[in-house]
Amino acid sequence: MSNYVNPQLAPTTRTPRPANKKMRLKESGGVASWVMLSPALIFLAVCSIYPFVWIFRYILFNYDGIPAHTRYTGLRNLTTMLSDAKFWNSVGVTFEYAALKLLFIIPLALIMAVLLNQKLKGSSFFRGAYFMPTVISSSISGMIFTFIFATGNGILNGILSSVGMISKPVGWLTDTGVVMGAVIIMSVWAGFGNYMLYFVTGMTSISEDVYEASRIDGANGVQTFFRVTLPMLSPVLKVVLMLAITGAFKDYEAIMVLTNGGPGTRTNVMFLYIYNLIFGTGANAARQIGYGALLSLVAAVIVGAVTIIYNLVAKKLDDVV
Amino acid sequence: MAKNKAQIVYSPKQKAIRVLLWLLLVIFAVIVIFPVLYIILGSFKGNQELLLGGSNIFPQQWITQNYVDAWNQANFAVYTKNSLLLSVGVMVISLIVSSMAGYVFSRKTFRGKELIYGIFTAFMFINVGSVSLRPLYELATGLKINTSLWPVVLFSAGGGQATYIFLCRGYVNSVPKELDEAARIDGCSFFQTYYRVIIPMLKPVMATIAILSFRQGWNEYIMPRVFTMTNENLRPLTVGGNMLKNAGDGAAAWNIMFAGATIAIIPILVVFVCFSRYFMGGLTSGAVKG
Repeated sequence: MSNYVNPQLAPTTRTPRPANKKMRLKESGGVASWVMLSPALIFLAVCSIYPFVWIFRYILFNYDGIPAHTRYTGLRNLTTMLSDAKFWNSVGVTFEYAALKLLFIIPLALIMAVLLNQKLKGSSFFRGAYFMPTVISSSISGMIFTFIFATGNGILNGILSSVGMISKPVGWLTDTGVVMGAVIIMSVWAGFGNYMLYFVTGMTSISEDVYEASRIDGANGVQTFFRVTLPMLSPVLKVVLMLAITGAFKDYEAIMVLTNGGPGTRTNVMFLYIYNLIFGTGANAARQIGYGALLSLVAAVIVGAVTIIYNLVAKKLDDVV
Repeated sequence: MAKNKAQIVYSPKQKAIRVLLWLLLVIFAVIVIFPVLYIILGSFKGNQELLLGGSNIFPQQWITQNYVDAWNQANFAVYTKNSLLLSVGVMVISLIVSSMAGYVFSRKTFRGKELIYGIFTAFMFINVGSVSLRPLYELATGLKINTSLWPVVLFSAGGGQATYIFLCRGYVNSVPKELDEAARIDGCSFFQTYYRVIIPMLKPVMATIAILSFRQGWNEYIMPRVFTMTNENLRPLTVGGNMLKNAGDGAAAWNIMFAGATIAIIPILVVFVCFSRYFMGGLTSGAVKG
């Protein structure tokens, strides 16, 4: 064995020219490649790394936006957070919002994808129509739904009362009992097209033969869905659920426009609460940027924890099924 | 595939079910399109009619004065100009930066490449919300560049670049390396190879990135809102329209707001209708490759 020629040596000694040329080609453009990469690296440093480091700098400080006021307060931000009922309320609201949104958006997206997959007349038009809300700015969708849900002259109350379903106007955005429903309707409308499209793409990769086989075995539509489509779709479903969960926890733009967290703190999700701590305007806005920085980190950790838990559960389910 | 499908023969019962399902699709499409239609049609109603409400979606009397008022008095001409600058700026910068970075990431091996790539990926998942705008805002005021919309353009492009870089890198990976080498032997430098060989090959993915980044810039809300808090003339349509809503006389100016919201959604809807292929294609290819 030890008498064998080292095979790695053989090619280099036999054909030195191509190897050299390859080397030369690889080596060229070293400076050029760094120059071409530099805009992306500068962006990464300025827009991502710098703000992240900046947060850690301020979590132990009291900072209201005026540099001269900055004071080191040690762990006071942390103790404030522990007793900040408004913050923990916003965490609860976020979980409620995310759970309700997922409960409606995922089944809806799945059902519409299945219907589109039936290759009915005009499927591609319907697909475009359902996807359309996702191209509209969330701030503008918030605005549109403010008009639709308006108590006095909103068209939803107008339609409901003209068909006799309600006798007096519903305070969609002012009644704490229904406002969460209004927020969910808006966010499902604005977002389900995305997830639907993932499902549609996933379904087109399921072979027609599988459906053929299940048809021959006499499966009806519902059976085909639960026994064929859903299991074959489970990798896509997992990704979509993951995106939907992280997405739902991060929503606040449209909610800010639609209700601004109100009435009271009924729809005050945590990223909205934090936004108002950092950029709040108005009469009672005492900016607490250092505190907001700490809460942002905590919020990021909460979202991260939920994601990890979801991944663990998804894995466990994989083992079982 | 298509021919096979044409041969499927449906029984009368199946046909009835398919008609029912189709009706379901139609009804649902009406519900989804309704809010947009309501805003567009409402923008032609008089303010009196809007404040009265009711269930009628069509205007009793079609008027275009709302647009004239929004454009001239409510500053929407300026907002539109800003929105265009923001979206086109983000688009151009994203295209240049991500195609160059994607090319280098795909073709070059250098020390620390995996680390840099890892940092890009990590920051796609770390989301601390609006707090990261605070240091950027202070940076812009510190550099005294906050009197223009450029910091918003730059920071928006910088914040969204990771996805586009991944898209480009994936696409360059699928371009045969032999093309590069042929160009190199013909005397092209590393940059010339990018410019003359890779860019023309990248057209499909560049189209997707152009569309996605244009939408990103056009729809940006929180960042321009923060950066233009004190400077009304820099606001894009998203911020301008919403500020009108927050203003005290908001309730009285529904017609202007309807017209403003319509101005904000029509361009992006037109882009969507023309290029829906790229919108939807970009979304799914990003999920697979990113």
